[in-house]
Amino acid sequence: MGLNYYQTKKNILRARKLVIKGTNAAGSGHPGGSFSMAEILGCLFNKHLKFDPNNPQWEDRDRLVLSKGHAAPGLFSNMAVAGYFPESEMETLRKFGSKLQGHPDLKCPGVEFCGGSLGTGLSYSIGIALAAKIDSKDHHVYTIIGDGESDEGQVWEAAMTASKYKVDNLTAFLDRNFIQQDSYTEKIMPLDENLDGSDISEMWKDASRWKTGDKWRSFGWNVIEIDGHRVEQIDAAITKANATKGVPTIIISRTIKGKSVEHMEDNPQWHGKAPDSDMVPIINLELDSQFMIAPSIIAGDMTNLENEIKRCVTGRADYIHLDVMDGQFVPTKTFDHNKIKELRPLTVIPFDTHLMINEPVKYVKDYVDAGSDIITVHAEVTDESSFGEIHDILKQNQVGVGFSINPDTELPEWSYKFLQSLDQLIVMSVVPGKSGQKYIEETHAKMSKLNSILKQHNFSGYIEADGGVNLENIGSVFADGARVFVGGGAIVSQQDVRSAIRDFRNEVLISRRRGLLAKANELGGIDLVNKWIGLHVIGTKQEQIKKIAQEAGYI
Amino acid sequence: MNEPIMTDMRSEYSKSLIQLGKENPNVVVLGADTTDSLKTSGFGKEFPNRFFNVGIAEANLVTLSAGLAASGKISFASTYAIFLPGRAVDQIRNNIAYPSPPGKKGLNVKLVTSHGGLSVGPDGGSHQTIEDIAIMRVIPNFRVFIPADTVAVSNLTPLMAREYGPFYMRMARSKTPLVHSDSQEFQIGKGITLRDGSDCTIAACGITVRMALEAAESLQQEGISCRVLDMFSIKPIDNEILEKAARETGCIVTTEEHNIIGGMGSAVTESVSESYPVPIKRIGAQDMFGESARDDEVPLLLEKHGITSFNMVKQVKEIRSKKL
Repeated sequence: MGLNYYQTKKNILRARKLVIKGTNAAGSGHPGGSFSMAEILGCLFNKHLKFDPNNPQWEDRDRLVLSKGHAAPGLFSNMAVAGYFPESEMETLRKFGSKLQGHPDLKCPGVEFCGGSLGTGLSYSIGIALAAKIDSKDHHVYTIIGDGESDEGQVWEAAMTASKYKVDNLTAFLDRNFIQQDSYTEKIMPLDENLDGSDISEMWKDASRWKTGDKWRSFGWNVIEIDGHRVEQIDAAITKANATKGVPTIIISRTIKGKSVEHMEDNPQWHGKAPDSDMVPIINLELDSQFMIAPSIIAGDMTNLENEIKRCVTGRADYIHLDVMDGQFVPTKTFDHNKIKELRPLTVIPFDTHLMINEPVKYVKDYVDAGSDIITVHAEVTDESSFGEIHDILKQNQVGVGFSINPDTELPEWSYKFLQSLDQLIVMSVVPGKSGQKYIEETHAKMSKLNSILKQHNFSGYIEADGGVNLENIGSVFADGARVFVGGGAIVSQQDVRSAIRDFRNEVLISRRRGLLAKANELGGIDLVNKWIGLHVIGTKQEQIKKIAQEAGYI
Repeated sequence: MNEPIMTDMRSEYSKSLIQLGKENPNVVVLGADTTDSLKTSGFGKEFPNRFFNVGIAEANLVTLSAGLAASGKISFASTYAIFLPGRAVDQIRNNIAYPSPPGKKGLNVKLVTSHGGLSVGPDGGSHQTIEDIAIMRVIPNFRVFIPADTVAVSNLTPLMAREYGPFYMRMARSKTPLVHSDSQEFQIGKGITLRDGSDCTIAACGITVRMALEAAESLQQEGISCRVLDMFSIKPIDNEILEKAARETGCIVTTEEHNIIGGMGSAVTESVSESYPVPIKRIGAQDMFGESARDDEVPLLLEKHGITSFNMVKQVKEIRSKKL
């Protein structure tokens, strides 16, 4: 079960920053492929792998084989976060005398496979899996292979072998990022089909063109296809894979090379190149600026919430925000934990349960059991003692801990001591009780005051903006520091949830780019601003960013 | 010399494996669609859950063996010599030799091949590997053996299982003449003096050991005292026995069914040139490929490359004149 969704996300972020730190210090390395598999490794390390960093050779450990060995920084960074060695050691990456070799090596305790020469990790993993079967051990082997690597014939030799010997104690991940060293995979050696244009997103989006799953199915594998950047999908796929007996499983994970740093994303140049030192603070700020869109389903048809969930799934929501109202804390009544339990099987998207109820301490366990991924309770109906109890229950059950304040509530001083371990803080920008209200403008000022308190008390969770967030104000709400955006009327009430969510994301993106340009300008003036803009070579990003920079007067 | 007793290395290898399988539950055996030919299928019948036939996929064979070894197994992987070092050198290097667990060198995999050298015969040049020793010798952490007969095979197979680390052993396809007594001891890095002599040394391996003994016998009749060494351990090579031979006999002829470039002859030359340089003549494949020859024509094929006792006699006589 491992860490909860939020802790996992935070560790993934930490690992990504270490990849930047390591490759920058080394002056070379492969950040692109490290980032495309960041969520896969993060989910494995933080939720599924059995290991002991103090006893790397522990016999019953699960084995992780990184067949696409060039993504070594991605593996090492996760090992550092997991406690195999100090994070500062990432600075020795690729240097003389370091155990952090250019490619994964047994010199580093905890590494299972010397990667580097591609196409061999799956065969090696089958060997490990067969040895476990001979010894009647129940540890599991997880193998990450790349899509460029799949050009190697040995991958398919191994595919046949795994199926022949029914190695169900092996789960492979295909990091399907569509890019190999020379160019897009579909131009060099198509796994799906030839790419005619140069826009990789055309392949990513068009499921009818994906053939890779069929290849593996025809080799006798259980195939699960997911979005490889969604922790909840990876998590569910691993659980399903482990429960599948008699056949090996491959989780085909569609990913984006360089994911989370815009200028690296989908850019073949970042297969094997390190970021320059002057870019590191900007990249780190960008990594810190990940955001989530959380549609609130009570803005839809309350008589058919099942359908509202489906609309959110189709719309590719990050969370589903569930407003629980009891008719007492707020005048309206919506639904309770029984309804959440009914909705839970419909999707693996995290349930962001917002309890607007009196005496939440009495009921919080019901909402845990119903399948919430995060539960937020209100400051107005808790005190130090009852929140402490809620906090502990949620932590024990690996559920994210959320705390919320109404527009006219200040963050109570008793809550300061919890800030450090809080996963989410909801700052209400309407008076809770019903959907469709206007954003209270004073919230901007409140946020700036809050930020300094949060910083002072080492808050490292996400701030969620809830109430009246729309396309006009979402950019400024992001600039205030919010990273999760609840959308009721502005998303769920719209005809097309998917395009509403996409519009939300685009607005946040503009605001984020503005913030990053400001950072570049602050650190290095026009030269650095131009350099940063110049890195954005894929698609139409560069023109869009240039425009923002011109409007802001940086260039 | 007496008529030789001919025995089959593959049958001996098979017997040794089954014995090892009984003694040690960690021994696993892998093959690549040549398991009947290599006779490893016998192990498979005895221990079906420790036997894996991966089909005609040598790269996969090598890496799978490495994965098993990484989990504590002692992997014996076998197929024809031409298809292991020749085809899967990347996997041999990067998956077996290179990965070194703490305090160890390489993984615990034994690559044992058959059909080495020119004596493969009718299958022709495509199947006659004259490069495998050169390839395997240059890879760090690998130790390399060429047994001369079934006594060597029955000793070296369990020795490889006992000794941690990567080994390569190349056997011949055809039956080979017995040259060792049953009580012969085999140690890693130790050559065997099969016949003492003071005028010259022939360092041989594999099927050429018997030829060397015949050559020495015939030289004896001409009053030339020839020492014969079985250099079955090509890596590590026995520097001591070679230095001694150089000092005491003053010249060395090497003989093998491998290219004269990079094989046992090269290993001997490297060793002697650093310890006690004396004239050396290398007999072996003359840097050219083999070709088809019916079993009864194999001597003709070997003769084409000078791999005969007759040529050994001739070379010994010539090199003696070059002594320092």
